[in-house]
Amino acid sequence: MSIEAKADGLLRREAEGELAGHMAGCDACAAEDAAISATGPVLRALTGIRAMEKAPALDAMWTRVRAGIEESREARLRPSWIARWAWIPAGVALGVAALLFYPAGTDRTPFHPSTFDVAVEDVESDVATVALVDKGEDLPRVIWIIEDAKT
Amino acid sequence: MRKPDRRGRAGAPALSILLLLLLFSAVPSEAADTVSVDVGSVYASNEGSAIDPALGTIRGKLRSMFNYTSYRVLDRKRRSLAVGEAGEFELPGRRTMRATPLPARRDKVRLSIQISDGPRMLLTTTLGLRRGGMVLVGGPSHQAGVLILIISAE
Repeated sequence: MSIEAKADGLLRREAEGELAGHMAGCDACAAEDAAISATGPVLRALTGIRAMEKAPALDAMWTRVRAGIEESREARLRPSWIARWAWIPAGVALGVAALLFYPAGTDRTPFHPSTFDVAVEDVESDVATVALVDKGEDLPRVIWIIEDAKT
Repeated sequence: MRKPDRRGRAGAPALSILLLLLLFSAVPSEAADTVSVDVGSVYASNEGSAIDPALGTIRGKLRSMFNYTSYRVLDRKRRSLAVGEAGEFELPGRRTMRATPLPARRDKVRLSIQISDGPRMLLTTTLGLRRGGMVLVGGPSHQAGVLILIISAE
């Protein structure tokens, strides 16, 4: 058990020292230790040999995997023409919708009247005096409400 | 590696179709006898000397016509009305304006306007405008100045 623990590197320094002292006088334990210690390099050598044998097959498999990854990446980056152009009508529709459904209640568009040609057919008030002001074609006509006892 | 969002791309055509359907179903068919009435409420006072850029080309005209130093657009409302359909516009100071398009020749707009302050009828008038024309109604007191309504129709 101690020889196996030594091979696995699990022995404490003092125990390892005691075991070395014992093996100096015990051929059987020394032979067992030598056999166990030789197993590691043999296993590593065997694994290396098998890896060298399988290397061409592994290389071929990796080449196929890499090609598959590249192919699927290119397919994702190259969308169909429908997906590529569909955003244009979507954008146009959004823009028109925004214009139409923009709150019509209040806006800050500057006033740009095309004409001041207005006919006031009749004007009256129950509670105020009303004056009609006309200062020429270049200026808008004004209906001025003079609230009685207010303005 | 981050995967591109395929669902987003696939959703674009569906979104387009949905928006277009929404658009066509919601856009009212503008009849020839529909009038777009635009009412802007401007607060004119002698508090400061700021003139609201939203007044556009009539800024200079307001300054030349009235003796106020400051003009500020408080509100602006636009409504499409059919001939005979009355549209109510809320004005600052709990006043209201009712506009009703009347039958008129093709290039003209006739509007019946009623402005009230609670139960008091401040103004009743009938206007004949060319499409795109504008008239001002002013005088009702508001805070430290007066209210000037910019009424246009097309």
